[in-house]
Amino acid sequence: MAAFSRRRFRWKNGQVVVELPDDEQDMLRHVLPQLRELVMDETDPALRRLSPPARPDDPDAEAFYRQMVTDELLASRLEAIEVVEEGIAGTVLDDAGVDSWMHSLNALRLVLGERLDVDVIGHDALHDLDPSDDRVPIVALYEWLGWLLEQLVDAAMNSLDD
Amino acid sequence: MTAPLTTPGTDTEDDVAFDHPWKVIVWDDPINLMSYVTFVFRKVFGYSKDKAEQLMMQVHVEGRAVVSSGAREKAELDVFRLHEHGLWATLEQDQ
Repeated sequence: MAAFSRRRFRWKNGQVVVELPDDEQDMLRHVLPQLRELVMDETDPALRRLSPPARPDDPDAEAFYRQMVTDELLASRLEAIEVVEEGIAGTVLDDAGVDSWMHSLNALRLVLGERLDVDVIGHDALHDLDPSDDRVPIVALYEWLGWLLEQLVDAAMNSLDD
Repeated sequence: MTAPLTTPGTDTEDDVAFDHPWKVIVWDDPINLMSYVTFVFRKVFGYSKDKAEQLMMQVHVEGRAVVSSGAREKAELDVFRLHEHGLWATLEQDQ
């Protein structure tokens, strides 16, 4: 099989074509509802990665900013998840569609990275885990999402000037 | 002839935000991909590939970079869009 056919995101006629194998479609169908649940749960610590403070120097200003953007940010995330879910079986993305896929794939990576404590242990430690470690399947998922996102960035790069 | 509009001097003098634009800062984090961060800078701000790469490297090496600046509303919108993309962005007033 040609290497070309392995690409999940391709630039074609000014848009990004999405083609995922069945098992990868199933994986996204499995994890996206979990992301939806998480973004709606304001108490989940992993949300810190998705909505970091904008004004860490000023608690009042931070509270005000939060109040201003929280609903909009949530609506944006939920819509992005929905766009991905609708296109899992194969779709063509315009600029807004690319944003939705990027936001969702990256949000999944951030949440998993937070769960894996990548901040603390670093990426190298992920590869040194014992095969029996519970985190090994999460690492595989995390790396697959990074691989997908990298391909999407490559394809969407064509939409930018210069 | 109409009298020139007068504005109380204190209004503009107190308007610190007007004199001191707000800065949007992106902080280094070990999760976001370098290629992705570069792409986001190009897409959100319309920066050239070179400028976006330079800013991404500054974030990576120095731990933070000022990626845009301006009036408060514009800076807040920039932070919002960076948060949508999952970047670690903050806002601060230029002193």
